[in-house]
Amino acid sequence: MRVALAEDGALFREGLLMLLRAAGHQVVCSAADGDELVALLTTEPADVAILDIRMPPEPDGGLITAERLRAAHPDLGLLFLSHYAESHYLMRILEIGTESIGYRLKEKVGSVEVLTDTLNRIGNGEIVIEPVLAKRLVERTRGDKKDVVAALSDREQEVLRLMAEGRSNNGIAGQLYITPKAVEKHIANIFVKLGLHIDTAAHHRRVLAVLTYLRSQRDQG
Amino acid sequence: MVSRFPHRVGDDVDEPVAEACRRKNQDHWRRRRLLQRQLHDGAALRISALTLRLGLLEHRAAPDGHAVQGCIGELQDELHAVLEELRDVAAKIYPPLLDEAGLGPALREVAAALQAPVTVVASEERFGPAAEGAAYFATMQCLAAQPAEAQSMKVVVRREDDTLMLSVSGIAACHAELMDEARPLGGTVEVITESPPGASTVIARIPCE
Repeated sequence: MRVALAEDGALFREGLLMLLRAAGHQVVCSAADGDELVALLTTEPADVAILDIRMPPEPDGGLITAERLRAAHPDLGLLFLSHYAESHYLMRILEIGTESIGYRLKEKVGSVEVLTDTLNRIGNGEIVIEPVLAKRLVERTRGDKKDVVAALSDREQEVLRLMAEGRSNNGIAGQLYITPKAVEKHIANIFVKLGLHIDTAAHHRRVLAVLTYLRSQRDQG
Repeated sequence: MVSRFPHRVGDDVDEPVAEACRRKNQDHWRRRRLLQRQLHDGAALRISALTLRLGLLEHRAAPDGHAVQGCIGELQDELHAVLEELRDVAAKIYPPLLDEAGLGPALREVAAALQAPVTVVASEERFGPAAEGAAYFATMQCLAAQPAEAQSMKVVVRREDDTLMLSVSGIAACHAELMDEARPLGGTVEVITESPPGASTVIARIPCE
């Protein structure tokens, strides 16, 4: 995969460069800030851009850079890396786009397998959400929703957590060692129990519905 | 600048002393914010970079290094745990989300973490590290002190000229928590309503940037 990279921490940037190359990816450009990356990508095609959220232009240059990149190259996948997994940033990221986009913790992409899986999912149009954050969203539901989530079976809660990570049916099946058919059945049950009515076949709409459900109460109070 | 120290009685407040005290407390908040940034840009980044180097090592140990790979995975998990502890410390010094995104997002996160029914009304406006830090920690302590069955609490943050107005309502009064944070910066606190119990409104006004 052709990867572009912008990160202001030299130590982390160099480490990521080496790991990307070891994983067999082609790093087409590497920059210390967002503006430099935008300039480099005008002449260099790439499949996915990896962006540090907190980098120049300050304060959250990764997000501003991503908006510019999405406008200039709609097919370019975007992977945000951050030291913090915050639902505030997740919502801002999903405002930039809901396809071919990902948000992960910096220390959680430190293996060839995870890095490649993350990049491939983004390349395939999926939303990739840091599992630590997805888990927190599922666990922190309040009021009525807390009761609804608690009433799901253990297996359904696992499936809900993996849906909140943005995983596809096949991805969930692979994680839980069950068939995609079984996953579909669990998802249908979950949506009935949560009272969500949506075309579960459209992947990104399904992920958004789940995230909105898990988030909504905190904004309404 | 007019000093507002409600705990002092009479008009004999030594103006330069009050002003010096306020400045010292503002510096204190700036230092806290700086320390948090130093943790992020220094130790945390180094540890994250270390997980990448371990990943590279794991890759080079393949394909017949299963034992080594398992060990490296465990080390990476341990480094994640170290970073989680650093994040916890950073949040207690000066929450990064408050630094980067302001009181609205930071206080909504507090409400979510407490799983408390809190509505936060705040614009994206910024008030400087001292007033924001004081308002954040005062609100957090106030919300954390509420009984578990507390219903529909509300936090409002607004600018009134050169003052940050923080109002917390639907609560069992937490005058002291707000007082402790607002007063060192020359702020004032008033309790608007006290009955019925659990339905108080407390307002703090803190001089800001």
